[in-house]
Amino acid sequence: MTEPIAILDQVSYMYPRSVEPVLRDISLEVYRGEFLGLIGPTGAGKSTLCLTFNGIVPQFFGGRFFGSVTVAGLDTLEHPISHLAAHVGAVFEDPETQLIATSVENEIAFALENLRVPREEIAARIPRVLQAVRLEGTEKKHPHELSGGQKQRLAIAAALAVQPSLLILDEPTSQLDPVGSQEVFATVHELNKELGMTIIMASHAAEEMAEYADRLVLLSHGVIEAIGTPDQLYAEIEKLEHHGLRPPQVARTFYLIHQANRLPHPAPVRLKEGIAGLHSLAQSCRIIPPDHLPPPNVHEGTPLLSVKNLKHVYSDGTEALHGVSLDIHEGEYVLIIGQNGAGKSTLVKHFLKLLEPTEGIVTVGGIDTRQLTMSDLARRIGYVAQNPDNQIFNASVVEEVSFALRNLGYPKAEVEARVRETLTAMGLWEQRDQHPLSLPKGDRARVVIAAILAMKPEIIIFDEPTTGQDFQGARYILDISRELHRMGKTVIVITHHLYLMPEYAERVIVMGKGTILLDAPIRMAYHQVELLRSTFLSPPQAVSLAQELTRWDGRDFPLLTPEEVAACFSCSQDRGDR
Amino acid sequence: MSMMRFQTVERDSFFTRMDFRPKLVMMTVISIIAFVWESPAAGGLLTLVVVVASLLAGVKTGYIRMVITIMIPFYLLLLLTHGFFNVDQVKALTGKTELTTLFMFPTTWPVIGGGRMSVEGVLYGLNVIFKTLTLVLVIPLGIFTTEVDKFIVGMVRARVPYKLAFIFSATLRFVPLLFSEIQGIIEAQRLRGLAVEKMGPLKRVQVYSKVAVPLILGAMVKSQMLEVVLQSKAFTGSPDRTYLHESVLGPLDYLMIAFFVLLLIAAVVAYLTVGFGKFGGPF
Repeated sequence: MTEPIAILDQVSYMYPRSVEPVLRDISLEVYRGEFLGLIGPTGAGKSTLCLTFNGIVPQFFGGRFFGSVTVAGLDTLEHPISHLAAHVGAVFEDPETQLIATSVENEIAFALENLRVPREEIAARIPRVLQAVRLEGTEKKHPHELSGGQKQRLAIAAALAVQPSLLILDEPTSQLDPVGSQEVFATVHELNKELGMTIIMASHAAEEMAEYADRLVLLSHGVIEAIGTPDQLYAEIEKLEHHGLRPPQVARTFYLIHQANRLPHPAPVRLKEGIAGLHSLAQSCRIIPPDHLPPPNVHEGTPLLSVKNLKHVYSDGTEALHGVSLDIHEGEYVLIIGQNGAGKSTLVKHFLKLLEPTEGIVTVGGIDTRQLTMSDLARRIGYVAQNPDNQIFNASVVEEVSFALRNLGYPKAEVEARVRETLTAMGLWEQRDQHPLSLPKGDRARVVIAAILAMKPEIIIFDEPTTGQDFQGARYILDISRELHRMGKTVIVITHHLYLMPEYAERVIVMGKGTILLDAPIRMAYHQVELLRSTFLSPPQAVSLAQELTRWDGRDFPLLTPEEVAACFSCSQDRGDR
Repeated sequence: MSMMRFQTVERDSFFTRMDFRPKLVMMTVISIIAFVWESPAAGGLLTLVVVVASLLAGVKTGYIRMVITIMIPFYLLLLLTHGFFNVDQVKALTGKTELTTLFMFPTTWPVIGGGRMSVEGVLYGLNVIFKTLTLVLVIPLGIFTTEVDKFIVGMVRARVPYKLAFIFSATLRFVPLLFSEIQGIIEAQRLRGLAVEKMGPLKRVQVYSKVAVPLILGAMVKSQMLEVVLQSKAFTGSPDRTYLHESVLGPLDYLMIAFFVLLLIAAVVAYLTVGFGKFGGPF
């Protein structure tokens, strides 16, 4: 790994209309055959940095560019993008937008055709790259027929087909469910280790980056803050948290243990090493089982939302739900998890009457939803979808928040009063006359939530609120959900990010193949590791460490977070006393 | 899935096996003939042939029904305007000095009293209706029966600039995505208490216009992303590239091209000599 394949020398860059540089004085060497991870909060400049390698920055965007980038010996300012494309493959975040052809084989052939590769050679490369990403036999399929993970693997195959020196992946897993994400990381890892492909990947997936990357670059506000191995960077917890980043849970757990017990650093950053570290700590420290874990809240009485023997068959014959029964009581915070296609969204759509049961009954407040209109339900159930920008249709924040109230026929005075109350509560009153889309992304999400809260719904559903968000963005939305829960609202959250939820959710519903596999308090559900794995969900690393502790110690450690695991270790004078 | 499939037929047929170039000739010839013929009988026959061919090729009846439903208000307007007001042109075409009255408003009625609808005017209106229907339906017959990649290669071989052909195919690729976004936005509006089903047409138009803002913004973000993707795949729009799929004309394709060229010649000759397709002519 000594020969650099790409060299960035004092690169600074400003987009045409930006007021300050997105990249500042970046100098970096990328070595042949390495897996280089780019980490940093949203807006750090990771995507821009990725686009400098294939010349799209600055050739396509324009703007002011300083310094130089050399890839495979070619200066990216001196060679056209179409020429650089033969050396640098690129895979982007959104699986939908980046696939442009109407069949798998045409998707792979597209760049090769543009590069004037002969037809026979294209035909020979297609099966080879499909095999490399394990998509054999899909040549004639339409990309729409593939799952999210398969689409990203197809994008990787298309990039590989040009036989590039360097493969750039910009957040390739952020839109994917856990299975899709695992598929992509496994594929990239294989390409790197078995074919020696040089990889540059920007990602927020801390646990996977610790596992697979050789080196990490920490980027913040366009500046390289640190370069090092995952062991070096992820052990610097305070620095990561200062930049709004989440370390792997293993690293955070050991950091907390070391801090509390004044043990020397460094901490392990991968689960396997964490488990080994746990064994060695367990031999030298006192392990105190948790004695005051809060019991799960019990909600009784008439359920607010009830589903009995629900079955739903789509018009094409797909049975999306069968035998689903559940009760949700007032004031609960429920987490629904499961793979794409498990039936989560189909279930939630029945609460809102976006879908009607093929069989079974759904009641809200004791009333069968068949007797209610969607407007009736909108008063009682607020729904926050994944992308806030698709839920903004008005020219000002005030209009946006009053939209639903006007539709529901409230008197003008009440509309005004509710809008003022909601905007003040959400800290948006000052921005009331601005166009919602002119606000920063976090504020746009708040506008959408405010628009829903103005209806004063009893139940609020957040559908994948953390997808595509960095750690701070996801926490921000979940903190709002917790506030609403404290105000007495019933909150339902659908997410794939299990590690984020222990601080928020009380109850977990695990769905798989159109039915409920488990419905239990979060402390119990997260420890049903085999069941979670059967539906391709992995428990957070802190849960795995707690399970290891249980195995080692024999007592029960139903822990969920790094803080809870760390609190079990006392490594002072009385070492060895178990 | 249904969204994705609406642009192509699922049935393998004579039309799906044909190269895009004879289909291009077919679309051109039928459009010219539809444009030239003024006789409602001949025009109606041509529309019928196109409809039957579309159904045989697997174009969904639902699609044809949708096209006709959308066009109905326009057709009613055509019948009324031609029936009542297209007097001079119809007289000139038929050579008649007086048109046959089909219907007349009583002269005592204010404003419209004495207004007269003529049989010939209505027939001319029918002719315009058949013209537009043929033009609207021949396009799906040619395009829905062609896989997009064959369609691009066919267009490029027919000397359509590659960039233009690509833009067309990219549009087809992104139409289903756009539809699913529209659906998502309207769903979000309905979940904020918007009862579209209880609204009048004007209010609905107002509501749907609000979909445009997030849709256009989303489309702008997507189109920039698409440009970045295309650049990273060495796309320059240059026709100087290779193609995975060959586009070779087979005997059937040549036969069809010859057939449509002969059909055009025959139609023009028949129109000029025996007046076939002329308004008020023998057929």
